[in-house]
Amino acid sequence: MASILIVDDESVVCKSCEKILKPKGHEVDSALSGQEALGEIEKKRYDVVITDLKMPGIDGMKLLNIVKEKYEEVDVIMITGYASIDTAVEAMKLGAFDYIPKPFTPEELRSVTVRALERRRLLKEEREKASRTYVRFEYTMPDNLYYLPEHAWVKLEEDGNVTAGVDDVFQKSVGEIINVKLPDVGNEVEQGNLCVEIEDSSRRIHKLWSPISGEVIEINHKLTENPSIVNNDPYEAGWIMRVAPSQLESELKNLIYGEALIKWWLKREVIEKRDDKYLQVSALDPKFKHEIAKQPGGENIKVCFGCGICTASCPVREIDETYNPRKIIRMALLGMRDAVLKSDFIWLCSTCYTCTERCPQGVRFTDVINAIKNIAAEEGYIHPALRMQAELLEKEGRLYEIGDFDNKKREKLGLPRVHSEKNVISEIFKVSGFKEIMEKKA
Amino acid sequence: MEYALFLGCTVPARARNYELSTRRVAEALGIRLVDLDGSVCCGFPIKSVHYESFLLTAARNLILAEEKGLDICALCSACTSVLTEVNKELGENEELRKKVLRKLGIRKKFRFSNSIRVKHFARILYEDVGIDKIKSKIQKDLEPLKISAHYGCHYLKPSDIYDNFDNAEHPKSLDELIETTGAVPVDYENKNLCCGAGTLAMDENISFSMANKKLRSIKDAGADAISLICPFCSVMYDNNQPTIESKFSEEYNLPVLYYPQLLGLALGMNKKELGFNMNRVKVAPLLEKLKQ
Ligand code: SF4
Ligand code: SF4
Repeated sequence: MASILIVDDESVVCKSCEKILKPKGHEVDSALSGQEALGEIEKKRYDVVITDLKMPGIDGMKLLNIVKEKYEEVDVIMITGYASIDTAVEAMKLGAFDYIPKPFTPEELRSVTVRALERRRLLKEEREKASRTYVRFEYTMPDNLYYLPEHAWVKLEEDGNVTAGVDDVFQKSVGEIINVKLPDVGNEVEQGNLCVEIEDSSRRIHKLWSPISGEVIEINHKLTENPSIVNNDPYEAGWIMRVAPSQLESELKNLIYGEALIKWWLKREVIEKRDDKYLQVSALDPKFKHEIAKQPGGENIKVCFGCGICTASCPVREIDETYNPRKIIRMALLGMRDAVLKSDFIWLCSTCYTCTERCPQGVRFTDVINAIKNIAAEEGYIHPALRMQAELLEKEGRLYEIGDFDNKKREKLGLPRVHSEKNVISEIFKVSGFKEIMEKKA
Repeated sequence: MEYALFLGCTVPARARNYELSTRRVAEALGIRLVDLDGSVCCGFPIKSVHYESFLLTAARNLILAEEKGLDICALCSACTSVLTEVNKELGENEELRKKVLRKLGIRKKFRFSNSIRVKHFARILYEDVGIDKIKSKIQKDLEPLKISAHYGCHYLKPSDIYDNFDNAEHPKSLDELIETTGAVPVDYENKNLCCGAGTLAMDENISFSMANKKLRSIKDAGADAISLICPFCSVMYDNNQPTIESKFSEEYNLPVLYYPQLLGLALGMNKKELGFNMNRVKVAPLLEKLKQ
């Protein structure tokens, strides 16, 4: 259940929205002007504000600005007429969660509200679980793309066309996708207008606004057969359509490019005054990437362009979303030294080398993660299981002690006895300095 | 044909069926395996926590083989991968080579990859013995058996250390080796999926889910058994199969054979010689099928 404020100068609209959302168990209030809305928000913390764009006095845009400045955690959904789609797109860049064009059906209002609430739930859950930190959207987004934030992405292709798809926020807030209704090849799509309908597992339809205008020249047919590709790999295999853009240059200005998106998110973090467990810009250590690059195998980390192929091909990430190679690189490049070194997830790589084989930039992620673990170890964080193995090796020279009993068994099978070289590795640990590191406590 | 046999930690303690069948098969094919006395762990478990210790440990093992003037034959894919990697690195990087020898207190010169090579036993069978020669020794056609190959990751990857002896994304060498026994190789979905052993000590749920995925695919493809070449992979699919079955409410009963065990059958060896009693999932139904 959520608390929702509807703002519209037409009381019929307010009433009908109330009628649609109240039966879902939400607490719904109304305000007939921007001014009145601000008074309400002052009194009560709303989860979501749904506001008309065009109102006399404080209009929807102004209201959005004030709310985002003062109460970043409140999600704002804009109601807009067809003529104001441009403004609505701009509103998203300013932090509106989404918009819904008038006239809308009850189902359309419900769908967008459900997505807004699901996104809130995900962020909240993520914040509460200290051990599962950084399941964060911004670190999973490739930085060579343009974004209609929290909605869709656009990639410029070498041939002058663009590819488009949905981003992680959209995909996660929808949940399991069971159907994707694609446009037809030859259709014209327009920035900010409907291009694709996506159905979730409760058969709810979610509308995707096209991030770019132009003619659709290709669609991803694989999604018809297996729509869940969008969930698993939204930035690569889960692309939606290719478009021959008609107003590329001017429209890109309405989107946010790569790294700027991270700043966009960071700004929201700071405004929300989350505690420093999450991320303080001041805690970033720009030298971290050089430190990794100095380790054997870590050399190439700096050429990662964030395409996410490593993530898409990682079998561990397929099972546990907290493990995400691209995100780990992103965090490392951003300088989130402490967060990376102290995390649980760096220990989860199963060293299958798939990412290393497939990276188009020649980043050896399997070695990068080893480099990171080596640095963590130097700081005294060694995963207990690995510490135990190292201690065994130090003592026995091998992971499994082979004593008299085992050797008798071996002899019975006709296998030669095995002797343990007990001093070799302990000597190595001494000359290499690892002995000292093992004694260090984090 | 002579090699220094590098057993590593896991094989002599936990995979004696693998060791036994390998030694028997090698003998039958005229491969002489000389035990590499004085060796220690290959170094793999410390690579992620202290690279230099890892390097020194691996180098120390390589030196033992170079002293004997023999190429290394390894049975575990992780051992193969790290020994190959370090051998190559130290062969190519003179400065590093000198530093490593100095740290190990070794005065004598060693040349690593300029002098010796590291190969997995399966690769030796494929490249050095060769399919034709193996075929000529087959005594019993395993035709009724349908076998899925699991290559494992470190056998082929990272591919740049293995001189492309097989294709990491579309491997075929093990399938061909299976075919040589007369058995029918069975393809399946997720063929390149990692067994998950690398994560077992950190998070067994992840590992078991990974192994379960592959067991399911192989079962769905209709194979009678899995054939593999790494003790870690075998721990996941064989030793842990019952745990995985109960955890995911599945029933697989998929025997897991080391490739030399399978080849041994075709070479006419008996189940005792091949250590089948040490396989966790019963191999008897497979042997039954062969009798029919
Ligand atoms: S490491 Fe390679 S595959 Fe992964 S995001 Fe960076 S460039 Fe892409
Ligand atoms: S090596 Fe590690 S990070 Fe790379 S794909 Fe395999 S499990 Fe994932």
